[in-house]
Amino acid sequence: MNELEQAGLARLRDGWISGGAAFELAPVEWKEFAAASNSDEQERRLLAIAAQALDVALRPAAPKTLKRRPPLPVLALPMLPDRLRPLLRAALKYAADARLKARVATLVASRGFVLHPMDWMPAASDQESPDIYAPWVDWQAGADGDRQSRRGQLTAETWDDFYPAARRAALVELRRTMPALARTLIDTKGASEPAEIRLALVELMRFGLSADDVPFLKNLSADRSGKVREMAGRLLARLGERGTQADGGSEDPIAELAGFIEEGKSGFIRRRTTYTPIKPKSPAQQARRADLFASCYFGDLVARFGKTEPDFIGAWQFGVDDGADLFLVRMIAVSGSDAAVACLADLLVAAGGRLALRVLQLMLRLDGGRKRVLIRQILDDGQNLAALNLVEGAEAGWLEWSDLAKSKTIPALRSAISGDNDVMKRSAEQSLETIGFLANPETAENLIDEVVAAGLSPASPSLGLLRLNAALAGNPSQSDR
Amino acid sequence: MQLDLKTIEALAPDQASLGAAAKLTKRSNWPRLETNEQLGLIWGECQGSGSNPYRVAFDTRDHGYKCTCPSRKFPCKHILGLMWIGATAPASFDRVDQTPEWVNDWLGRRRKPGQPPTPAPAGAEGKSIDEAARPEQSAPIEDAAAAERRAAAQRKRAEDTRSAVSAALDELDQWLADQLRLGLAGFVDASSERCRRIAARLVDLKATALAGRIDELPAKLMALRSEERPDAAIRELGKLVLIAKAWRAAPDDAELKRLVSTSETRDQILANPDAVQVESDWEVLGEKIETRRDGLVSHATWLLDLKSPTPRFAVLLDFFPASAGRRSGAFAPGDRFKARLVFYPSRVPLRALVAERLGDASPGNWPDFALNAAGDPLAAYAAFQDGAPWLSDWPILLPAGAIALDEKDGAWWQAANDPHGIALPVAGSVNQTLLGLDLEVTAALWNGARLELLASQSNIGRLDLS
Repeated sequence: MNELEQAGLARLRDGWISGGAAFELAPVEWKEFAAASNSDEQERRLLAIAAQALDVALRPAAPKTLKRRPPLPVLALPMLPDRLRPLLRAALKYAADARLKARVATLVASRGFVLHPMDWMPAASDQESPDIYAPWVDWQAGADGDRQSRRGQLTAETWDDFYPAARRAALVELRRTMPALARTLIDTKGASEPAEIRLALVELMRFGLSADDVPFLKNLSADRSGKVREMAGRLLARLGERGTQADGGSEDPIAELAGFIEEGKSGFIRRRTTYTPIKPKSPAQQARRADLFASCYFGDLVARFGKTEPDFIGAWQFGVDDGADLFLVRMIAVSGSDAAVACLADLLVAAGGRLALRVLQLMLRLDGGRKRVLIRQILDDGQNLAALNLVEGAEAGWLEWSDLAKSKTIPALRSAISGDNDVMKRSAEQSLETIGFLANPETAENLIDEVVAAGLSPASPSLGLLRLNAALAGNPSQSDR
Repeated sequence: MQLDLKTIEALAPDQASLGAAAKLTKRSNWPRLETNEQLGLIWGECQGSGSNPYRVAFDTRDHGYKCTCPSRKFPCKHILGLMWIGATAPASFDRVDQTPEWVNDWLGRRRKPGQPPTPAPAGAEGKSIDEAARPEQSAPIEDAAAAERRAAAQRKRAEDTRSAVSAALDELDQWLADQLRLGLAGFVDASSERCRRIAARLVDLKATALAGRIDELPAKLMALRSEERPDAAIRELGKLVLIAKAWRAAPDDAELKRLVSTSETRDQILANPDAVQVESDWEVLGEKIETRRDGLVSHATWLLDLKSPTPRFAVLLDFFPASAGRRSGAFAPGDRFKARLVFYPSRVPLRALVAERLGDASPGNWPDFALNAAGDPLAAYAAFQDGAPWLSDWPILLPAGAIALDEKDGAWWQAANDPHGIALPVAGSVNQTLLGLDLEVTAALWNGARLELLASQSNIGRLDLS
């Protein structure tokens, strides 16, 4: 269409928009084609010509402001094969929330694959997905893909090439392999960051925490952010550094907290020290006790009684006051040494039952081995399968059939599935999803057979993760390699 | 498999259903029949009157069933036919260990009855499977005079229809002139009411297909930005002028009759020697499901010919009442199958029927059609418009490109090197992930104003975008 015709079309359009005969406004060539004895017919013919001109001769012009996103970064693992994507989508569909969807991604990553980005993408604020997805998290947050792709190892020079998720993943890795280098980076680069980011960086010091970190953490006691000072204090407490020097005066919170604990003796032959929580006399006292447990450090409390951390834990009378038990466990999770955490976890798991579930408060501090012990304990018990969902940071794909076959979980699942109680059935199906994450392929396969034999439909969506797990049989979990 | 004819008789809603099911027991009606004996399931694909085969599944343990046909009879004749084959010719079913995804979907969603099905009653009142199985008595031989009378009546009906449609198009012409006289600004604002009125007149005068098209016009306009609506109105009204003129020039033309009044039946298309037949491997590019103002749901399944040297498309189009509820199609995007398609006769064949399913086709990339990245991305659309200027949606393959956003977050497809400064606006919102991917080839529908993305081959494989 030439310029004259375009101008004519524009005039025609304006004429028709306002109404009335527009024939005289048309380009000359068009008028020749459209000429007719009847004016209505002339307008209709022009309308047909204009329609065709708009359809074939005009092209939408690209706005000058069109903006493209940087290319989606390529991840370090291959994408899940297409043949497994229907199973993956079924598992993702059944996963009720972002955390459970991220768990599916974790299982798949443990078998050496990443998900197709059209099936699942971590959100910009995601902190649950495996580290392998950090470049996508940063891409979602608006990171520059070019900068991401050209960066190498995290150093002071490449610091700005890393966006928050990738930087976090790199720092965690550095803390595990070269903790001093990571500490130096946090120290030098963190100083100029705002308090919120500084806090997140200092929090990463918990990975590979050692006595070498004490001077740096002590320096943070002068940080301008109260939250950073508090975090540094907790980390120091975990390293055995005393926070509050108790003077025993009326303003001493450690002395006040100790006042809620009764020291005693038990046993006839070998007199053994015991620590028993004293029941608060009023709601105000109860609240004060909770505050003190939350704000004091475990090392300071133990020092007040002149004991080592493991000795104090061994002497604590669990089961007397559930509330006090919970406060103590949380206190140890926050400020207890690694040895105290391990000792407490072992003691609680050995106690079994409800006490074993208190270990869930220690999740961020527990090593993979102790998490597995806890999970086996929950499965053996078979009474609180919902607690499996609370085991944060559990590894994927390691649970063996021998762990499960003799546990009370299998009869519990069978009974719930074959019974008439819909609530029990739903709960059992949720447990299947969780075990689908923990199981190795053989366990997944066997468990499917068990529950189908018990009456669960073979096509039940709750079997989605187990089926995906079993289908990934050729790719053992990284943790089992 | 434990099925007997008495059960089928008891489950059938009426004698007519049994009679219809009896006609479906021929193996040739079922391109696929499979069973998983361990789960007590039988399923198959039945070629019904739609362009897609229907997917039919039956659970022999509790008599649960599922069919994708729009019938309001439960169970429908396809279920009864499947059961009938299961009862009388179980060897017709291929034994498999895995159930297909669509059967799994159904099993996952259905609520199983608490108790096993009750045995079939001894006699199902008013229904007889023996009666249904009896071959139909051949129609009495018509004498010559009767045949002549019937032919004359047919001619009279056709003449009446043609006169009515001609009158309808006269009214349409007048209506079009009125819209121009009153102004398109007013038409755009009141298009819903004005289109509804003329559509009702066209239905009365047997121009049913044209009425449906006009009824959908307001929704098309409203999907655009207000500044784009006058141009879209000119395009759509202009196409109506063209259709009316073309029909008057050739009222017996099959394509024009389809556009103005009614479409041929499946049997008519299959029997038409002029209908183009293509046996090939096909990939399902995507689906477009729309609920229309007349209460029908149109379900379009877009296919790409994987053996053609140049891009060739087909669309399987089915209509069913919205009141029949959501139904799944026979194919999922990305499916590949071998089939013989029969195209509805037209100047640029596009709408088709599956005449014969010939099994599954192997997965892989689309053929290299050597698309010209530096060329006009809408050149193919313009060429098709020359042949059939009344068409609105046309499938196109776009060369390497990417999706970009404008200031209002509207999505645009843009060629990788964009030699012409052309970008095509994309309908609706797009998955944000798409913005970071290189699209090597993209299949989409162009409607003159917007692209509707169907599928793409990208740096990370095939993307379903419909």
